[in-house]
Amino acid sequence: MNIILEDAVAVYVAMAVALSVWIVIFIYLWRIDAHAKEMRRQLDSKSRTEQNPVPTATLRAQKARESSE
Amino acid sequence: MRERLASVAKLFIGIWLGGVVVAMFLLVPQYEGLGNAGRIIIMHVPTAWVCVLAFTISAIYSALYLWKNKPEFDNRALAAAENGFLFTILATVTGMIFSQVVWGIFWNWDPRQTSIFVLLLIYAALFALRSAIEDLERRRRLSAVYSLFAFVTVPFLIFIAPRMAESTLHPNCAFIEGSECEGIELAVGKIGLLGDRKVQLLGLSQDGDVVTAEVKVSEPGLTSEAILHPTWSASEGHQIVSPEFPNLRYRLTIMSADMASQSAKLNIMAPGTGILDNRITLYTFLAGIFGFTALFIWMFRVRSKLLDIQEDLQQREGAFA
Repeated sequence: MNIILEDAVAVYVAMAVALSVWIVIFIYLWRIDAHAKEMRRQLDSKSRTEQNPVPTATLRAQKARESSE
Repeated sequence: MRERLASVAKLFIGIWLGGVVVAMFLLVPQYEGLGNAGRIIIMHVPTAWVCVLAFTISAIYSALYLWKNKPEFDNRALAAAENGFLFTILATVTGMIFSQVVWGIFWNWDPRQTSIFVLLLIYAALFALRSAIEDLERRRRLSAVYSLFAFVTVPFLIFIAPRMAESTLHPNCAFIEGSECEGIELAVGKIGLLGDRKVQLLGLSQDGDVVTAEVKVSEPGLTSEAILHPTWSASEGHQIVSPEFPNLRYRLTIMSADMASQSAKLNIMAPGTGILDNRITLYTFLAGIFGFTALFIWMFRVRSKLLDIQEDLQQREGAFA
């Protein structure tokens, strides 16, 4: 019989499998969480720089003034 | 500081649940009649508990969305429903493994299995509904209403229906205090149901203190029949011999007998009954409930965060389009 399936060993094999699955899930969750946090930070900083943008009309007027000078 | 605390809490969840897994296999003792299969309750019951919690949170956020009309409440309702669905699948799969070991079959359409299957269909329909509606506002409003209706079925499908059914093999008596497997009173010649097995009391005889019943048990679909002879002590009022049902790790037992009226109270003894009487099993079980609840909260927060980001990005795309 396969040694892995023997009663005394099987319980340790099952534990190792369950523990490995949990470790993989944990790392996956941790990484997703970190990525989500990073994305949130980037979005927040982007929205701060986008606040109070110069209106297009002002930009056009500035450009016209510069070219006339 | 807050971020550091959050990281410590996540690490704690990782170590805690790792500890639960180790305790489940190395500390929890084997239960008589169940062997190693009994360990699965440490996973099965907490996942079932988390699905109830998740669907409750989903319903609360759905109600909040309908009241306040804030998109983030809809995102939280969806995140909770998705996690609840995932944990329901886990509870179903762990239950199927247990049923294969104890009942000899993965899926038996037992009332407990049927009710959880219906629950899965109800919440799968929520996701189908969400993906079928284009208009964002309409999708949110309709799915919030549907989620509230879906939640109404949760207590019925998880707590009430399986207990109303007389022919369930699910060992309710093992875990819920006050929940009794009452058994059935049969007179000689009468037929009744224990679990999903048909039983017929063929005869009752007494030899001194020992009462012996002759019981014919039939498998579902009457595919096979067997005669069992459980015995009971009349003076001490407890069972002496409780034979196993054919192809099942459940035992047939006499709870009481009345020779004058030629009747006996028969019961099905589920393996797992009293499994939590063992302190180590009980503490591991409670640790599992705590760990899985914490894991759900973490998963719920991550999914909510991702849905919020997705919403934010969609709004920006709309603004720049």
